Parts: sequence; structure tokens; C-alpha cells
Amino acid sequence: MSDDVISDSHLKALLTDNPYLPQKKWLRELQNIHLTDFMQRGFPTRREEHWKYTDMSQLANENFGWAHKLEMTEPVRGQGIVMVFVNGFFYPALSDLSALPPHVILCPISQALEQHEELLKPFLQNGFDSNQYPFACLNTALMTDGFLLSVPDNVEVNTPIHCLFLNTQQQDFMIHPRNIIDMGANSYITIIEEYAAIGVEKYLTNAVTTFHAAQNAHISYHKIQAESKHAIHIANMFLMQDYNSVIKNVHLAIGSHLAREDVTVSLQAEGTESYLYGLYHLSENGQHVDNHLLVSHAYSRSKSVMLYKGILDKKSRAVFNGKAYVHKDVQHINAAQANHNILLSDTAEINSKPELEIYSDDVKCTHGATVGQLDKDALFYLRSRGIESEEALKLLTQAFATEVLNKIENPSLRNYISQRAGYHE
Amino acid sequence: MLVIDNLHASIEDEKQKTKLILRGINLHVKPGEVHAIMGPNGSGKSTLANILAGRPEYQINLGSVQFDRQDLLSMEPEERAAAGVFLAFQYPVEIPGVNNTYFLKAAVNSIRKQRNLPPLDAIDFLALVKAKIKEVGMDEKFLNRAVNEGFSGGEKKRNEILQMLMLEPRLAILDETDSGLDIDALQAVAKGVNSLRDPKRSIIVVTHYQRLLDYIVPDVVHVMVKGQIIKSGNKELALELEAKGYGWLESLQA
Repeated sequence: MSDDVISDSHLKALLTDNPYLPQKKWLRELQNIHLTDFMQRGFPTRREEHWKYTDMSQLANENFGWAHKLEMTEPVRGQGIVMVFVNGFFYPALSDLSALPPHVILCPISQALEQHEELLKPFLQNGFDSNQYPFACLNTALMTDGFLLSVPDNVEVNTPIHCLFLNTQQQDFMIHPRNIIDMGANSYITIIEEYAAIGVEKYLTNAVTTFHAAQNAHISYHKIQAESKHAIHIANMFLMQDYNSVIKNVHLAIGSHLAREDVTVSLQAEGTESYLYGLYHLSENGQHVDNHLLVSHAYSRSKSVMLYKGILDKKSRAVFNGKAYVHKDVQHINAAQANHNILLSDTAEINSKPELEIYSDDVKCTHGATVGQLDKDALFYLRSRGIESEEALKLLTQAFATEVLNKIENPSLRNYISQRAGYHE
Repeated sequence: MLVIDNLHASIEDEKQKTKLILRGINLHVKPGEVHAIMGPNGSGKSTLANILAGRPEYQINLGSVQFDRQDLLSMEPEERAAAGVFLAFQYPVEIPGVNNTYFLKAAVNSIRKQRNLPPLDAIDFLALVKAKIKEVGMDEKFLNRAVNEGFSGGEKKRNEILQMLMLEPRLAILDETDSGLDIDALQAVAKGVNSLRDPKRSIIVVTHYQRLLDYIVPDVVHVMVKGQIIKSGNKELALELEAKGYGWLESLQA
């Protein structure tokens, strides 16, 4: 039993008072189990290898509670099919599902619990190991609203789906969004999951997004983490890939005071491709972003690519840990990992660890990490053409980021995400 | 227009040792004049060109540079560009991820802004760049590439001249723009430079070889050796150097 947990009774009370989801007996039992598990484990400490560089113990001293539903009158602008959550609550009036093709289910979990309970149940009942994934476990216990997206076999959704979690106007609240993406065989989607803030409030986001891609499914997924500068953002993504499925993730992190993001890819059959791209651009003192990626190559003919790039200014810090694990007796594995960083100040820091763990012979793996500064000659070149110093810096920073942003196939999304990163079109 | 007086400059090498490169340069360039600076490797020609453009690595130990009666050495590189100084680099840097058109437009409009002129809109800019790119004999496809990335030596030099034509400087400094160019590229570069010749504009051509001076005919030729200008003359001096090499002049140095 850990003694440094936010108090146990506080957590138990939160479970009982959860204002987000309808009461279901099976769900409540599930949540009780996960809460007990989590409390027994406690918040991870830096003594644990996986949490070495990211101190979560400060969470134990926080007293985050539930938010209340705000009157939202301002329209929220989204891309394509839009779902908007404010402080964890779903806002149908701000959302626009009109372009959703028939037979595709996209709805808040709160509604899915009533209307698609049988569809939802197996996804939620698939529990998380509290030791390995303490925050996913906590997410189950204190789950708040999120989205369920279910795409039938052979359906392509070409309009981007934008799920926006906006956090604003309240202090010291927390949300634990649970998002489920279930892709049928030969289906296709483009989706953005965005966490955004208007002000500088302090709150906690602890999200879990699970993907299941059936055979030949193709997911083009984008995440924007633009939380307020005092927020804490924790996210776990679990990707399960079936035969010949392809997942492309592009991940942008610019916000929050402290962020920890874990992406875990598990394979269920051969022939999969998993592309994990990321960009973190930190510009606040004390800002800390930790990315942990794991692709477990348990089946043959699988390919994984990790490319994360970081731009670190002031006294910010980033952690990158990308691991490809290649099981025994699998063949034709292709795994590449790269993490490149530029430091814009003397006080920024990066801890980078691309890792390969290989128990098979038939693999092609590369990995590398670099840390550098902006090219001084390029900076002088731009300035000698009349471009002011600040603008020249911005151009070169953006140029560094371009490699990642160019992985976004949809041009309007690429523009949107570039703008969110503060770059020129 | 440009008055360089007793300029001494140095650079720190990797071992943090100070190395004196310019040892008292005196040069006076009047509006409308074309000056050629010739000299052997390591004489400080490129250093002088880079110092005029404002490369920060060099230290000025002594002397002054006036450009239109302003203290050039106290100005930032971008302020010098706005004042009308342009350096065509010997080795133009490749900048992956920065689109050439975007870069040109940012440069043109940044200079216009510093001169209190309204920015060119997309249409005017495109018309201008298309006209200028034709003058330097470059394919328009280079506009959509990243700045200098994967350009051949000749393409990089043409891109320098394109920038020069777009920015219309009052003082253009060409740092060994002829090196590594075939005859077609050389002529295209020379044509671009000559199109800028104007009674209000000055040009400094830094070169090893006389060849470029057949196309860009200088008013004055200077010979620089070991950080000093040891001899100045008319265009005949360049021919003499071509015939005799630099050796006979080095004995002239104090």
C-alpha cells in the first residue's frame, strides 16, 4: 500500500461521484477493481526504470476534483466531422457529425454505454496491468467521457474526424477521457485527437485511446497536445493491429507543464506497418515532455518506423524512449528508430534512448539519436538576405520540423497542425 | 559609397587561438564603380567579403568601414542587407525544409519592411521572380525546391544571382562566384551582374582568375596578399597577374 497517493478516500469518493458516465453495475465493478489495483501500486516513482526521468510524485500532492459543466456559447472551430468535449463533458451543440457516412458509429462513450453497450463492453473490460500502465489503470477507475468510433468493414471515411478536448475556465479539475477506435477490415479513417486550452488553468488530463485495426484497415491518426502551460497531460495509446493493417500516427506536443505519453503497439498477425511520427516543440521554462514508444514485433513481415523530432528552448526538457522488441522466430522484420533534437538554449535538456531488443536473425533495424543546434551558417545566410534574426530562427526551426509535418498526408490537416504548432503555412 | 579604412580583423581557430587575417585594408569604392579583388588562396579576400556582410565569427581589431556614411560594422547583417549590401556567397548554404520561393519572398518583404515600403503581394512577387529567374537562366522548378538543397554548384551560383537581382542591392559583393562554373553558367552570372550595373550601384568582384573579368569588366583591380592590398591598378593589372602569377607581387609587401 502506498502512502503517497492523493488520499485513497478522495479517489474512492471521486469514483462514486463521477458525473460523466451513466451508472452501470458491470462498469462500477470494473472501476472498483482498477481503483484498488492502482491504490495498491501507487503513483510511479523515479526509482522505476520507466519513470526515471519523469517525476509523477507531485501528483500525490494535488487535489484534483471533477469539473462542472460550463455554458458554452462561443462556437468552436474544428476540421471536418467534429466532436467537442469541454472539461470532459460532451457538447452536442458544438459538434458536427453531419458528414458522417451511414453505418459508422461516432458518439460519446456516455451515449455508447446506453446505445451500444454490447459493442463497448469488451473494449472496456480489457483491463490494464497496473504495474506496467498505472495511469491507464487509473483512467479505467475514474473514466470520464470520450469517443467511440466504430467503422464497419469496407467503409472509407474520407472526411477527417476531429475530436477536440477543450479545457478551460476552471482550476484543479481532472479528466480521464477514454477513446476507442475500432476499425473493420479494409476500412480507412483520418482522425485528429486534440487537447487544447484557452487560458492557463491548472488541471490534469489522463487519456487512454485504444485502436483496433482489423485486416487491411488503414488509420491515419493525428494527435495535438496543446494543453495549458500549467496542465499535466498523461496519455496512453494502445494500438492493436491485425493482418496487413497500417497505422500512421503524427503527434504534435507543444503544451502542458508536464506530459507523459506512452504508445504501445501490439500485433495480432503478420504484414503490419506502424509509423509513429512525433514533434515536440517546448518553449517554456520547466516544461517537460516524455515520450515512451514500444512496438512489439510478435509476428513476421512487420514494419515499424519511429521518427520523433524535438525543438527545445529555455529550461525545458524532453525524454524520448523508443523501443522495438523483436520476438524469437519471427521473420522479415523492419524496424527503424530515430530521434533528432535541436536545443535553442544552453539550459534545455534531452534524454534520448532509442532501443532495440532483438531475438531473431531476420531483421533489418536502424536506430539513431542526435542533439544539435541550429545551423549558424544557415542563420547568417538568411540574415544576410535581410530576414530579421527572430524570423530567421523561426524559419530554421520550422524547417527542422518539416520532416515530421510532411508525414501528414491530408494537406488541410497539415496546414491546421502546422498552424497549431505556430508555424507559417 | 564604401570606405574601408585600415581594417584589421581576426578569427579564433578551433584551439581558441586568435589568427589575424586582415592587416590594414584600405579601399574606397565610389558609386557606379566595379572593383575586382584578386589574390592567392588565404590572402583574406573571402574574409573581407564576409566581414562586409556581417558574418559574426570575425573580430574587428582596428579600423572602420563606412557605407553611405553609416558605420557598417555596427549594423546587424539584416540591417546591412536593408541598407543595400549583398554578398553572393562562395559556398551558398543548403537549407533543407525552407522553400526557395518562400525564402525569396521573406527576404524581399523583410527588406521592404525595413525600408518602410509595403510588402509585395503574391501576384506581384511571382511576376517579379519569374522575370528574374529567366534572366539567370534557371529552371522555374528550382523555386519549389528547398533553398540550395541538392543544387549543383552552378545552380547554387545562379540562385545567388537570382537573389541579387530580386534584392537590387546598392553594393554587390561577389565572392568567387566564378569558381566551379562552366562557361554557360559563367556567362549567365556575368549577364546578371552586368544588368545591375548602374551609376548609383557598386560591385566588388572577388576572384582568383582573370576569366570572369572578361565578362564583368572592372574599373579598378586590387591585389590582396596576406591581408593587405599591395597593388591597385586598372583592368590591365588582371591580365598581368594572369600572365605572371602572384609571386612577383608578394615581394612588394612591406
